[in-house]
Amino acid sequence: MIHICMMSLPRRLATSLLGHVRSHITSATCGTSSAGRSASVLSRCRALSLVPGVSSCPSLVASLRTSAAQFRSASYQDVQPDYEVVAETENKITADVVSQVNRSIADRSTGRLFAVVHINGKQFKVTDGDLVVVQGQWPPSLGQQLRLEKVLLVGSADFTLLGRPVLDRGMAAVEATVIEKSLSHTKTIFRKKKRKNYRRINFCRMPLTTLRINSVRLEKTVDQS
Amino acid sequence: MVFLTSPAWIRAAKPDKFWRRRRTFRLSAHYFGRARNCYKTAIIRVEKALSYALVGRQQKKKDMVQLWEQRLEAGCAEHGTSLPVLRQGLMRCNVLLNRKTLADLAIWEPRTFKVRGSQLAME
Repeated sequence: MIHICMMSLPRRLATSLLGHVRSHITSATCGTSSAGRSASVLSRCRALSLVPGVSSCPSLVASLRTSAAQFRSASYQDVQPDYEVVAETENKITADVVSQVNRSIADRSTGRLFAVVHINGKQFKVTDGDLVVVQGQWPPSLGQQLRLEKVLLVGSADFTLLGRPVLDRGMAAVEATVIEKSLSHTKTIFRKKKRKNYRRINFCRMPLTTLRINSVRLEKTVDQS
Repeated sequence: MVFLTSPAWIRAAKPDKFWRRRRTFRLSAHYFGRARNCYKTAIIRVEKALSYALVGRQQKKKDMVQLWEQRLEAGCAEHGTSLPVLRQGLMRCNVLLNRKTLADLAIWEPRTFKVRGSQLAME
């Protein structure tokens, strides 16, 4: 049983490190911003998917390998691994990943971004050039340029920024234009109770607004603390 | 002779039932057999159709939710977790993505979904 545990440790080390890194990043950025509105960075950088692939930081790789070696050699009688060492390496990974993300944001080299946006009670996953139909009463008038501010998530090919529950206001810029304000097709509301002489018929047309998403961009870099 | 009360016995004519029945026949134009052309059969089938339409509109929303949940279960199983675990983790992290969005991400943005699944399994 002990042997099985030890053999599977390296992979578990990687995944637990990943988990710790993510939780560290999330908890790190949690305390900084205003109540309830902090961003957590989850990096899907290829660096993180395989621990030795943190190519930009050879010393980091070395330190990870040594800690992995420590794990591998530990038996149940040994003391628990040194959490300070583990935390330090995690901090380095975090910092490295966050800086990579920030660099790509600053350079505008993120590529096409998608965002999950909350409009009028519903959530939509949008990118540049999308059409979104919003159902129900919605104030914006025809031709208005909007900036959608309730952004829950922004992602690119290489990373995602998750809001908790929403990203900071200045962080993501989702520009949209109202291109159509119309009514839906006529829906027939027919109610019948059989043998009770009850028959009612009503018609309903719900207002619709069509939006064109002009652009999804990241304005600010990720706060690191 | 002049009959003065006989005009008082004339009642207003009822509207021609052709037009009322035509409203029904317009809805039953594509039905099979007598339901297409005979009013007594057509009205029964048309009323059923309208009732089914109302119920169907309500049922559609439930069906969509079930579909999203099924897709999320599959996505979670791919990554070794389950939907209750994912939902718990999301609640704890105060991430308010709904099932529709999560299902969309699971299909079209698998990398995002994978990261979230594994992170929240930890938490």
